[in-house]
Amino acid sequence: MEYVGLDNFFRLFQDRLFWKAILNTLLFLLVHIPLQIVVALALAYFLTQKIFIRGFFRASFFLPVVISGVVVTILWQQLYGLESGLINRILISLGLGRVEWLTNWRVAMTSIAIMATWKNVGLYVILFLVGLQTVPTSYYEAADVEGATAWQKFRYITLPAINPTIFMVVILSTIGGFSLFIEPYIMTGGGPLNSTLSAMLYIYKQAFEYYHMGYSATLGLFFALLIMVVVVVQKYTIEKEDI
Amino acid sequence: MTRYFFAMTIKTVLPPSVLFLFLLLAFASCNKERERRGHALEYWSSNNGGEIQFAKWAVDGWNSARPEDRVKYQPVPEGQSSEEIILAAVVGKTTPDIYSNIWQGTVEFYSNAGILVALDTLEGFMDFIQQRCDSVTIGEITSGDGHIYQAPWKINPIMTIFNKRIFAEMGLDSPPQTYSAYLEAAKRFKIDTDGNGYVDQWFGNTSFKLAWYQRLFNFYPLYLAASGGMPLIKDNRAHFNNEYAIGAFRFLQELYRENYFSKQEESAGQDLFVAEKYATKWTGPWEIQYLERFKREGFEYSFYPMPVPDGHEGPIYTYCDPKSFVIFNTCQDPQLAFEFIKSMVGEEGDLKFLQTTNQLPRRKGMDSIPGFQAFFAENPQLQVFAEQARHVRGVDNCEVLTEVFDIISQEYEACVLYQIKTPEVAIADAERAVNVLLRVKE
Repeated sequence: MEYVGLDNFFRLFQDRLFWKAILNTLLFLLVHIPLQIVVALALAYFLTQKIFIRGFFRASFFLPVVISGVVVTILWQQLYGLESGLINRILISLGLGRVEWLTNWRVAMTSIAIMATWKNVGLYVILFLVGLQTVPTSYYEAADVEGATAWQKFRYITLPAINPTIFMVVILSTIGGFSLFIEPYIMTGGGPLNSTLSAMLYIYKQAFEYYHMGYSATLGLFFALLIMVVVVVQKYTIEKEDI
Repeated sequence: MTRYFFAMTIKTVLPPSVLFLFLLLAFASCNKERERRGHALEYWSSNNGGEIQFAKWAVDGWNSARPEDRVKYQPVPEGQSSEEIILAAVVGKTTPDIYSNIWQGTVEFYSNAGILVALDTLEGFMDFIQQRCDSVTIGEITSGDGHIYQAPWKINPIMTIFNKRIFAEMGLDSPPQTYSAYLEAAKRFKIDTDGNGYVDQWFGNTSFKLAWYQRLFNFYPLYLAASGGMPLIKDNRAHFNNEYAIGAFRFLQELYRENYFSKQEESAGQDLFVAEKYATKWTGPWEIQYLERFKREGFEYSFYPMPVPDGHEGPIYTYCDPKSFVIFNTCQDPQLAFEFIKSMVGEEGDLKFLQTTNQLPRRKGMDSIPGFQAFFAENPQLQVFAEQARHVRGVDNCEVLTEVFDIISQEYEACVLYQIKTPEVAIADAERAVNVLLRVKE
């Protein structure tokens, strides 16, 4: 072991693959976070309605959250299979072309984001359910008296009222998204053409495939600081006063 | 009063009792460690069933012959890979004295880290190694500092397996040995059987994964076959920017571009070779036991060497996935550890190893050793591998070999799988990156 001073930090700034991994992670977040919020909010809104066996649906949407990430990833890998995957078989039987879900570099990260959303959305559905149930019904009654449309009620009452929940979901999704590892590790190994190489996967490879423990620790430290900066920025751009 | 006395007793006795128990447990652990180090050599093998059975046989034999020098045995603890477990053991200073399943490619890394015993400093080692291995193998395992840190143990040469029925139906009298013959056969075999517009029967398959070690089972054996066993790294420089590596990339690229090889990873429980959707694949002798267990009745297969460029002359080499014995420097009696290793890999031990694991010992002239003849006569499929074992290579002695293969793997992906680079550019880029890496390590 030798003392290298700040060499690992200089190396980090010249490491193109690390920056590619950071960019991939940000692209993942770009798909994953909006998708997660929209789907979770829609499902939560659906589950606040008086529907048949509501409890069953609430449990069903939460179920993937408690299943092991590795199990979910392996199952989705089968679903995304190029030749014999269920999704492609359905597409072909419908007369649509098959999709290279995990073997096309333009599609692979989106495929992973869809899977990650399916896996985690149940948790955020619960958070939104709590948020939606705290909005006083008197606001909606007043809006009805004023003749507001459903969209106006959602835009000007619901959204501002659940802003703290949205903020929390964004923060949790961001931190969870930055730690993207199991999915690319199992499904793609970071490929094709490094398009699904996440920052965490790259740090892992440096540590446990190349045994560059010092460098991977440097990457980890830098990455933690980056997450902190992103979360602080999100705090000042998303969080607003309650209505 | 009784209640008060009881409470006081609990209050005064309980804390020291807990402390005493804690210290007792702590010292008991320390004592156990000291006892292990002082009295018995510790040996770890790989954790597959056959090797566990063989290791137990070897350890029992040693312990009954030399009860005063007992060996304690256990399979390497479960983990994602044995390399990770060994690394964790090194960090925790809990390495065994002897480990028998180390990949040749990681030995240089460990020896440079100063955690292995130089075996050539032990009495009788050089005689042993010269008796067991030819000069090429000895050269291959000699470290950059001139010492030898590993004792070659076993190999699993990579060859082409083929479905005999399919080849017969295709009218192939002999296996397609050259690139052009292989591609021609692949073109004839590819078909869309269910008419959905997509090919569902391919001539072969090899892993589509990016992981560096997957190149040991497709590109690297093809490179060795084409080049007559040339190294990838020589004199601490990339040595692979040549017609053989470019030719292997071009061959593989065409297999994927023309859809002769499937791009799908097989799922657990799925085997498209057994399902006769693939006519060939590149694999090792482990396939024999597997197929004998899972093939359907009447399924016949055989093996032949890796495809080579047209006009290839001379023997066809391949990669042999070599594993070795090492002695860690935590061992208090390396000479005794070496004596134990020697006792495991004599002719009797190697024959037992063949019989229990269906893997080949790494020793010269294996197919002509009289004691092995009966075994190979009973196992003709393994005889093919024993003959191939005359022309095998391991890997180069390079501390950063994993990264070298990772660089090649990146270029393989760009060129072979996605065809965004020509073979010439991909190999040149890999050479450049490997040379930068090796200079950094100098």
